[in-house]
Amino acid sequence: MAAASQSPKVHLTSQTRVIAAVLALAFMALVLELIRRDRLQERFSVVWFVAGLGMLIGAAFPGLLTLVADAMGVRDTNVALFSIVLLFLLGLALNFSVTMSRQAAQITRLAQERALEKARAQSLSSENGGEAKSKSLES
Amino acid sequence: MRTLVFIPAWNEEDSVAAVIADVRECMPEADLLVIDDGSTDATAERARAAGALVASLPFNQGLGAALQTGYLHALREGYEACAHLDADGQHPPAEVARLLGEVYADRADLVIGSRYRDPGKAESDDYKPTISRRIGTGVFRFFLTLATRQRFTDTTSGMRAANRRVMALFSERYSPDFAEIESLQLAVREGLRVEELPVRMLERAGGTSFLTPLRSAFFIFKGLIVLVVGQFRPRHAGAER
Repeated sequence: MAAASQSPKVHLTSQTRVIAAVLALAFMALVLELIRRDRLQERFSVVWFVAGLGMLIGAAFPGLLTLVADAMGVRDTNVALFSIVLLFLLGLALNFSVTMSRQAAQITRLAQERALEKARAQSLSSENGGEAKSKSLES
Repeated sequence: MRTLVFIPAWNEEDSVAAVIADVRECMPEADLLVIDDGSTDATAERARAAGALVASLPFNQGLGAALQTGYLHALREGYEACAHLDADGQHPPAEVARLLGEVYADRADLVIGSRYRDPGKAESDDYKPTISRRIGTGVFRFFLTLATRQRFTDTTSGMRAANRRVMALFSERYSPDFAEIESLQLAVREGLRVEELPVRMLERAGGTSFLTPLRSAFFIFKGLIVLVVGQFRPRHAGAER
């Protein structure tokens, strides 16, 4: 009964479904294009591809969303949808912070290595310069 | 003992040359390294002109990263002991030599110069901190003591001496954000002998403290988080003794 009274809420017109599907396809095409142009590395693209696929499936089978909402015990399918998207984005943002932290540490180590390398080269060249000078004095 | 004295410096062109000269005079046998932390002024040139080896980080990375560079260099070049002091002239090199003495005598792995424990006195009388600074110091003292079960008075001191065990640890693990406090906690947790030695410190020659009340509050808050998280960190595998 409850599902029946809600069914008008989740009923998508074929127009919205087509728009959603087109958007999902466009999004996946954009991801592909970014990879093709080397603007996005493959390992970062998987999650976005899955997201696009999810959008496509949602557009093709709107009943799925109702099932998920029922499983979550949420009356309003919209709320279920927004919660899922929000959690997904939250996880993704955290993942990016982790990646950024690792890269910050790598950049720091790189800067340290370069600084020490340059200092060492400088001290070597000044030693060699000193030798060259003393040699030229001898000759 | 082969000793490296390193000086982290960020825009300290006014004082760095004098500090180098002082260190040279006090510890003529020690090698000197200035870590220029992305200075935008003439710090690197002045240091080089004063005869120090200069490692310039390509951009400002923070004190922790600068200090770690020094520990890394000391470890790689096979120094048996190292020490560092601030470039603003508030740390007398003679006192740094005293810290190194403790390391040479193998009484401690890491020695901290504390401005508070004046010999025979509980508090230093030539050092008058502001109220916010005093609160911060108190909070950090309390929690660091709680975390390490060892009494520390000057938790943010930038004057330290260390042996190779500490170099190995700090060159791998040194927080860029909260270098001074977290490093003490880390060293104690790894079972290293950390000792505090009362030292005489001077008024800073140039520059001003970066602390405002709001910043202090944030600083303390961040420090507490770092300390709490630090208690749950896994121990380092390589630093057994």
